[in-house]
Amino acid sequence: MRRRTTFLLVSLLVSPCLFAQDPLAGSGTAPAGYAPEAQVSGAMQASNVLNPNVSAIGWFQAETGHRNPGPGGTDVEGDSFQMKEVEVGLQAIVDPWSRADFFISVGREGVDLEEGYLTWYRLPFDLAVKVGKFKTSFGRFNRMHTPETPFADRPLMQRNYLGSEGLNGPGVSLSWQIPNDFMFMDLTAEAVSSPRDTENPSFSRAGEKDNVYVGRWSAFADVSESWNATIGASAALGHAGEEFDTVNNSTRTLSTHLYGADVTIRWKNIRRSIYHSFSWMTEALWSHRDATAANVVNSHGFFSTMDYQFAQRWHTGVRYDFTQFPDDGTRHESGQLAYVTYSPSEFNQLSLQGRQVQRSDGTLEDLMFFKTTFNIGPHGAHPF
Amino acid sequence: MKLRQLFVLFTALVLPAAAFAKNVQVITTTEDLASIAFEIGGAHADVMSIAKGYQDPHFVDAKPSFLLKLKKADLLVVVGLELEVGWLPSLLTNARNSKILPGSAGFLQASDGCNVLQKPTGAIDRSMGDIHPDGNPHYWLDPENGRIIARHMASKLAELDPANAGDYQKNLAAFETKLTAKEKEWSALATFFAGVKVITYHNSFPNFAKAFNLNIINHIEPKPGIPPSPAHVQALEAQIKAEKVPLILVEPYFDDKLSGKIARDTGATMLTFPPSVGGSPAVKTYFDLFDVDLKMIAEALGKGGRQ
Repeated sequence: MRRRTTFLLVSLLVSPCLFAQDPLAGSGTAPAGYAPEAQVSGAMQASNVLNPNVSAIGWFQAETGHRNPGPGGTDVEGDSFQMKEVEVGLQAIVDPWSRADFFISVGREGVDLEEGYLTWYRLPFDLAVKVGKFKTSFGRFNRMHTPETPFADRPLMQRNYLGSEGLNGPGVSLSWQIPNDFMFMDLTAEAVSSPRDTENPSFSRAGEKDNVYVGRWSAFADVSESWNATIGASAALGHAGEEFDTVNNSTRTLSTHLYGADVTIRWKNIRRSIYHSFSWMTEALWSHRDATAANVVNSHGFFSTMDYQFAQRWHTGVRYDFTQFPDDGTRHESGQLAYVTYSPSEFNQLSLQGRQVQRSDGTLEDLMFFKTTFNIGPHGAHPF
Repeated sequence: MKLRQLFVLFTALVLPAAAFAKNVQVITTTEDLASIAFEIGGAHADVMSIAKGYQDPHFVDAKPSFLLKLKKADLLVVVGLELEVGWLPSLLTNARNSKILPGSAGFLQASDGCNVLQKPTGAIDRSMGDIHPDGNPHYWLDPENGRIIARHMASKLAELDPANAGDYQKNLAAFETKLTAKEKEWSALATFFAGVKVITYHNSFPNFAKAFNLNIINHIEPKPGIPPSPAHVQALEAQIKAEKVPLILVEPYFDDKLSGKIARDTGATMLTFPPSVGGSPAVKTYFDLFDVDLKMIAEALGKGGRQ
């Protein structure tokens, strides 16, 4: 019975006919006008029309001030001028049922596949499936690429609990838009390979087949024509390494449970949509991490940020951070960041930012940043 | 008596269902397309637009609430020519509705067959501003393009809903008859200001200018999507004075403070000029769009004549 259920599930996911909901899909017939000559010509030289959209975002940053990573901190990158990374995006429709997105970052640490995934977006029952390497749906901010955020850094809570690149990995994601007429709601379930302890502060694989399981529910509602709100709740469950029990001469697997909540409120007068807008986003996270089999570390963190667009090309914003540590719920650090950003065009941003962090030992770190990002390639969709 | 009650109950339950058989659910990206779809679809189509007429159609937030509408759509009609490139692709990818994806039966690009102007020739890049590689997307502002769009819609609706194909053809015929009559009125009105020089904020009106013989000599935006610099404003004011340009047309979603200042400095008249249905409260239909716009120009130039 269980095998039959598994077979049905696999059939549902794999069958192209079910993907399509399209009477022409999978018919295998050549389109009208398709000539053998075109086939020969195509074999000699492929048309550029079918090439993927190629874009690149450059992220240059200058900073001044004294870096102070605090007790146990490793954040010591502090050159005056930093070419932080170039993010190359390759995006295209793969076939009638799926699309592929690749984001490759080239930076000081070399070339890295930041994300690369295939999305089947024509599934029935309001489903979409993603496979590949991707940033998980734990909260809203985790999925954002740092060059595309307003900030010169990632919020302290994000770095302390999810790492400098966020919680990501190769895996599978299933998203279901909950059918209803009143409000957009989405439920996402994901499994990604568990990171190694050097890659993520919260999770550490105990074995080769270890996974981190992520779930997220989110809802969006228009409050009025100008105001709207998104709320979300997330959870991530995985292992936090192993502990050797000297009494029983055995190994115990330790676990981490992360829970998150986020709220985003936006305002924009659509009659003047290019001139003024406002958004406020807050994310909070609670962590329960096994330090040992008998000792659980409970800790938490949050950040809150506001952005106000006061003219067509100008934004200003602030962010407040408060965070503890996954392995220590008794210490905390906090910080505040403020910025003003000028965009000569949609494809270039120049941002002056100031950040102060009060480390857990009471010492301060004061830094000023000049961040510029520049984007070449096709006009991408504006993130929402 | 009991039989009669049963009959009444049956009638009450079944007849409304038959009478209100499911209409074709049409989503358009702009209110101009929605207005034409409403004329052609008539009683058999429920029509909704994503962008409002008073909203810049280049910059629409891809809000998840639009997905609820797109998910149920049978037909999506888009302007195309990359007008919606900043927001529609992500909506379509997430709409989970195969019927309305490009290449599917429920997707209609309204620009097909229309007279599209300003197709760039030669190499293009972003130093030219936010240009559209396939031509100027504001083509609905030529009523003859409205006729072509209406024909596309009638054909597409008949394909999706063959049972009512006859009604769509009748609605199309009525639309074309009214359009032909209106075009005569509009042409007669436009002769009073033929060749008049105008400035527009964005490059939204080349089709309108061609249809009604206006002479657009410059824009407040130096390049599409690029805000005006003080040097450009200064040069523009000099040009307006030198060439005695009487009119500055400003789309309702652009800031009218700078345009108003240019008008005051030069003596030109600034009009908040709707480029779309819904762009002002008076513009409720595609026909209203030309009625209102042409009347505004005529009144600004003085009783239908040139100043």
